[in-house]
Amino acid sequence: MSFAAIHIPDFIVQAVVRGEVALRERAVAIVEGTPPLWSVVAANRRAAQVGIELGMAKSQAAQFTGVEIRHRSPTQEKTTHEALLDLGWSVSPRAEDSAPDTIVLDLAGLSGLFGTEEKIAHELAKRGFVLGLSARIAVAENIEVAILAARGLPGVTLIPPGEEAERLRALPVHTLLPAPEILETLTRWGVETYGRLAALPVIQLSERLGQEGVRLHTLARGALVRSLALAKPSDNFQEEMELDDSVEELESLSFVLGRLLDQLCERLAARSLSARSIRMEFELERSFEKGLQLSAHADQHKLLPRKFEKILALPVPMRDSKLLLKLARLRLQSDPPPAAVLKIALSAEADRVRTTQHGLFLPASPEPEKLELTMARLANLVGDANVGSPQLMDTHRPDAIRMERFRLAQEAVGGRRKKLIALREKPVGKNSSAARMAKPANGFRLLRPSAPARVELRDGLPTRVFFHGVRGEIVAASGPWRTSGEWWQDPWDQAEWDVEVRFSSSAQKNKRSSNSPSNPSLNPGSERGLYLIYYDLRQQGWFLRGMYD
Amino acid sequence: MYTELHARSAFSFLAGASLPEELASVCAEREMDAMAVLDRDGMYGAPRFYMAARKSNVRALIGAEVTSEEGWRYPLLVESRKGYQNICRLITSMKLRAKKGEGQISRAELVAHLENDGGGLICLTGGDEGPLAHALASGGMEAAMSSVQQLCELFGRRNVYVELQRHYCRDEEVCNQCALEIARKVNLPVLATNGVCHALPEQRELLDVFSCVRHHRTLATAGRLLARNAERHLKSGAEMQKLFADLPEAIANTQVLASRLQFALNDLGYQFPIYPVPDGRSQMQFLRDRTHDGMLARYGADNERARKQIAHELDVIEKLDLAGYFLIVWDIIRFCGQQNILVQGRGSAANSAVCYALGITAVDPVGMELLFERFLSEERGEWPDIDLDLPSGNQRERAIQYVYERYGKLGAAMTANVITYRGRSAAREIGKAFAFDPEVLNRLTSLVGAWEYKDANDTLERQFQDAGLDLQHPQIRKFCELCLRFQDLPRHLGQHSGGMVVCQGQLDSVVPLEPATMPGRVVVQWDKDDCADMGIVKVDLLGLGMMAVLEDSLKIIRDDYGEEVDLSRLPANDEQVYKTLQKADTVGMFQIESRAQMSCLPRLHPVCFYDIVVQVAIIRPGPIVGQMVNPYLKRRQGREPVTCLHPSLEPVLARTLGVPLFQEQLLRMAMMAAGFSGGEAEELRRAFGFKRSERRMKDVELKLRRGMDKNGINGETQETIIRSITSFALYGFPESHAASFALIAYASAYLKCHYLAAFTAAMLNNQPMGFYQPPSLVTDAQRHGLRVRPIDITCSNWLCTLEKIDEKFAVRLGLRYVKGLRAEIGAEIVREREARPFSSVDDLKRRIPRIQKGELAVLAEVGALNRLGNQRGFHRRSALWQVERTARSAGPLYEFCDDVEKNDVEEIMSTGGAKKSGEENYDLGGSPLAQMSAEERLVADYRGTGMTVGPHPMAYHRAELQKMGIRSAAELAGLPDGMQVRIAGGVIARQRPGTAKGFVFLSMEDETGIANAIISPQLFEECHVVVVHQQFLMIEGQLQNQDNVVSVKSQRIRPLIITSAPTTSHDFH
Repeated sequence: MSFAAIHIPDFIVQAVVRGEVALRERAVAIVEGTPPLWSVVAANRRAAQVGIELGMAKSQAAQFTGVEIRHRSPTQEKTTHEALLDLGWSVSPRAEDSAPDTIVLDLAGLSGLFGTEEKIAHELAKRGFVLGLSARIAVAENIEVAILAARGLPGVTLIPPGEEAERLRALPVHTLLPAPEILETLTRWGVETYGRLAALPVIQLSERLGQEGVRLHTLARGALVRSLALAKPSDNFQEEMELDDSVEELESLSFVLGRLLDQLCERLAARSLSARSIRMEFELERSFEKGLQLSAHADQHKLLPRKFEKILALPVPMRDSKLLLKLARLRLQSDPPPAAVLKIALSAEADRVRTTQHGLFLPASPEPEKLELTMARLANLVGDANVGSPQLMDTHRPDAIRMERFRLAQEAVGGRRKKLIALREKPVGKNSSAARMAKPANGFRLLRPSAPARVELRDGLPTRVFFHGVRGEIVAASGPWRTSGEWWQDPWDQAEWDVEVRFSSSAQKNKRSSNSPSNPSLNPGSERGLYLIYYDLRQQGWFLRGMYD
Repeated sequence: MYTELHARSAFSFLAGASLPEELASVCAEREMDAMAVLDRDGMYGAPRFYMAARKSNVRALIGAEVTSEEGWRYPLLVESRKGYQNICRLITSMKLRAKKGEGQISRAELVAHLENDGGGLICLTGGDEGPLAHALASGGMEAAMSSVQQLCELFGRRNVYVELQRHYCRDEEVCNQCALEIARKVNLPVLATNGVCHALPEQRELLDVFSCVRHHRTLATAGRLLARNAERHLKSGAEMQKLFADLPEAIANTQVLASRLQFALNDLGYQFPIYPVPDGRSQMQFLRDRTHDGMLARYGADNERARKQIAHELDVIEKLDLAGYFLIVWDIIRFCGQQNILVQGRGSAANSAVCYALGITAVDPVGMELLFERFLSEERGEWPDIDLDLPSGNQRERAIQYVYERYGKLGAAMTANVITYRGRSAAREIGKAFAFDPEVLNRLTSLVGAWEYKDANDTLERQFQDAGLDLQHPQIRKFCELCLRFQDLPRHLGQHSGGMVVCQGQLDSVVPLEPATMPGRVVVQWDKDDCADMGIVKVDLLGLGMMAVLEDSLKIIRDDYGEEVDLSRLPANDEQVYKTLQKADTVGMFQIESRAQMSCLPRLHPVCFYDIVVQVAIIRPGPIVGQMVNPYLKRRQGREPVTCLHPSLEPVLARTLGVPLFQEQLLRMAMMAAGFSGGEAEELRRAFGFKRSERRMKDVELKLRRGMDKNGINGETQETIIRSITSFALYGFPESHAASFALIAYASAYLKCHYLAAFTAAMLNNQPMGFYQPPSLVTDAQRHGLRVRPIDITCSNWLCTLEKIDEKFAVRLGLRYVKGLRAEIGAEIVREREARPFSSVDDLKRRIPRIQKGELAVLAEVGALNRLGNQRGFHRRSALWQVERTARSAGPLYEFCDDVEKNDVEEIMSTGGAKKSGEENYDLGGSPLAQMSAEERLVADYRGTGMTVGPHPMAYHRAELQKMGIRSAAELAGLPDGMQVRIAGGVIARQRPGTAKGFVFLSMEDETGIANAIISPQLFEECHVVVVHQQFLMIEGQLQNQDNVVSVKSQRIRPLIITSAPTTSHDFH
């Protein structure tokens, strides 16, 4: 029985180079981190030769001429890993996913298909090259020997039985991937190769490094025997389709989407799983005009939306492809792709099937699918940002709220709801002046967004106000109440006035007869009203924020 | 008219955003004639506000916001000196019983301090943090009313004002209406204030960032902790009148109250302690007697000049009533003498013959013709400044504790050191507020201010760009702008390294005291400049590493050589010392060891003590910027005629060959050329001093010109004199100071020349200090023939010690150089070893169970355990092999059982290290591990001790280097000037001094010595990465060999792969 290990050296670099073939012959350094701290996390041999070191800052690396610097791409690494598995599965159905950069194949029974082990190994190398992978391949009777040889030796290596220890002898011990403290000890000991490690007396080694030391010793001798751990299919379900011609109409897209969703849901059903969310990724066609802009402003290249992405976050796991298609269509109706679509990729985050009834004596919960459909319809009507539960924000900015996703009470963690209710019902102390002072004297109707207004001033005090097509005299005013803030990103600076407005009778009449679309709640037809107006110092204009009841 | 009576400065530490000077100047601009600063729980900013306000003709009113146990803050204004003393005591009392930076006042304390009449303090009801707002929020009107009544009981009805603040905020106005109602009911006056937190509206941004720092939040998450608006700035009277148009009495009352506050900071009531004099004599008489005794000892009975000078000085001291001060300093000196603590006065005190006679200083000012007025003058009316150098460490602490004991806990305290935001700290704090990633922050802060020299492109903006920050981004731009605005704002209070103030009686009634982080230390709330401005006397007890080295050297000489060396009686003109100095062979010597000093020494060619004084003073920014170094050296070498700026200045400049080098000379020049008095000359120095002000400099310059015109000095000569004075005053050394340092320099040179082993051991025991790292000190000592022995657990102590080998002394490295070995474990090793030698690694571990595996491993790796093997061929790796097993507990059953390994070893010994089946050869050390190679030992030495006592890394490659045409450092001196050479070595120092216009200086060491390379700004720009990051370099360039000063003008720089040992360098001075 033989095993072939396939290892991708400089995996992080190769993952990037795979998508940019022109980099194959160049010195490449991969950086990672949060701007501005990007440091080198991987570099190919050429880069190392010119002096690039791991951990070096991007700005330092940039000072080396001829070194191409790219950012690390987990997505490309993932797809490269998937490609590696594909490479394995293309030859043998029995594959072990040993590491992101390494897999092992069971070669038993393949000789009839591919010939000798050597031929299989070369075939793997060839297929790998087609997939954009420069792989090291090692074949041995022992899984670990194959892995270590692939990790440490270039090209294709075949290790005949009995020669394992000899062939591994010169490899550096760090390729055994020992724990950092053990590697440090080995370095202190001057044990740098498998040969030196294998030569140590095993009992004394176990006294010093414990069972891990014994394991490494066995590994170094090529004597660790284990069976193959077959790779499990992934929990990430992805389906994608590249379109021959770009598609612009939603109807045509829906057809493709439906097919993909059907496939996804079938796969989910076969494993008794449902989707917690569906990610829809569209690769868009770039228009001619945009292409021109690109050549003129190469820097903007990254900024243009070449991809369009939507995530259907589902309230409960589901796998009804029809319903999912409806949701997807609604989402795309409210926010369609900005250009024609070239490629669609759907991936489902799998989860266990939803429980509809939580206890024997509890009624089944309302159907969240319906709620989600309703929410999606509402979002389609009023926009994503305007659906949910409003939450007050901790800021002095007037009118600041954020919309949080609306959730059913049952979704809350058990007991939390009770606690919330208990908090709400907690009696407020009679003498609590804080509560008294905090409690608003009146209700307040807020206009969102604020309505533009015109205000006449005398001696700095507002005397007359015009809004919603009506005019009123200000009979009393309190203010200005000034707030300003967020000077570091999105500054505001406003001066508010609480004003009592008396409307002229003619204005009232005009108002009633004109059938104006303005908000009736702000102009209830009475002769007087208490309003909150403000002057926005940044916009240099007056606005009506709302009305006190 | 309106007076602002409630403002906080940046000295409220993160609760105010403007410096006191800014507040005073904006106050003057707003045409207010008075203003009160109430910093939080302290008088931190009061002196600076007072000084700044005095200059702007603003009356500085003083107070503080004092935190109560209940959480509110009492805004207290000082009405009288009694009030000031009370508030100082109150703050001291609350601070001293709390942790540093904390403290709250209890009601009982208030009652105790205020007696019945308010104790000279006025209490306001406060803004949103005051007692009234607190009571209103927690208990409504009833509580608020009760709170105000309690204030009336505490402070007296006439000392309570109901404070109203208006920042255009609804909630605040609700409080104001309640406060007004209460004021009417209780019949208290109302008072308008603006609760100022910053001088100008735009400084609100700084305040917001401070709020984030204080609450450990980011700007995005701080929410309502940030200011609601930018209204807490210092408003003009008109603005405030408009704001309080409905309450004119609130504005009018500010004037009434301001007129009541009559206390000013010049009325502190500070008194210097009276020295207890025996026999009923006066302090002055006692001082005269002590000085007379000293004079006889120092000068003998017939030195008329000295007698006259001392008599003159004593008269001045008597006139200024400073006898007590001199006696107290003398007392400290006497204590140090009794305790064998090396001490020496430095600075301007060395200008005084009285100080010399009293033993405070060691320089003879009469012999050296030093200017007494630089130290003390009748005109200035200031306390003299005496700095005492003591050995850093325990000895200095003993002297400090003596002062505490002598004057009591509330009679002496350390001066504060205000820690202000600098480039790095500002970028860090603001970056945090902007929620930058911690790694980004580290990167940023490591970039800011790494080099002293800033070229035209080396701006903060460029540094940010280098860090990958896009300055076009508005948020990044704002970040950058704030970093600049944060500069110099106070962050917190530290402790000055040695400044002590003493007081007759209660120091806590002069300035609030607080605990320092160091146990047993008390700190005043003012820094040394504030203390000087407020007329509080300070004595600096400074720790000087070299003093500790000298003291330790003397001890080692006494113990090991059996000789007694008295530093005050060193041979005056030791030939060996001067020869060494002339060769610039000065590594480790005080003040004359740097690269710049070394490049000057051969040209200056010192032959007497005064030359050392000049040498110490000449490599300073003043002479360098004033372009006085070259003229002096040329004149000294006879290459330029000795001329004087003006014949009248000849007596002043003659001994420095017509080139002014010392501050005293400038003062004397002003005296001779422009007819300045001694005091006026000192005023001149201050005008051009550290806190220079344009106006003051102009005034003095005008006075100088007028004086010179009168004396007939004009035209080019006048301009030259003015130029020398102005460019020099700030950065020059006083001659007296240089002389004090020169004495220490001479002593260090003498000890190095004659007692190299003792001096080297003492230097190594007092690291870090000086210009060179320990490896360079060791290499230098080895070049001078000293043997340095490696760390050995069987004989090394914690500190480096001497051993005698073949009648010669060698230094044995101490355990302190084992990286990661804890001092207590080191002490335990020495203690246990003295009881019984260790027999094996196991024995060591058994007897010192607290020793950790990492510590054992480093000891083994550096070879310190080699002699524990008890067998031939036991080497570092054998020890490492043992350590790894010893560190793993074998369990109680096998704890004492080494049989398995012993049997193995016996078997190996019996077979002579024969091959064991299937395994590599065992060596005779009892471990299967191969012995370390030379390179591995080098790496291990540097990794474990930061140095090697073996050959220098370059020595291993000399043959190959020679083939490459690389010259050794020692060879260079014999090569002709202008020759094209190639040098190489390990970089031990990289410098880019502010005075060198962007040039970089590298010191590169090999086994033969140190070579210097000069890198032009252009070349540095090209090879930046290599120069900064590579430890071993090869440099090609043109040799400059003039006057025995050797350096290479670099043309090409390449990295050199010599070793992977982690060598270090001392960079970017």
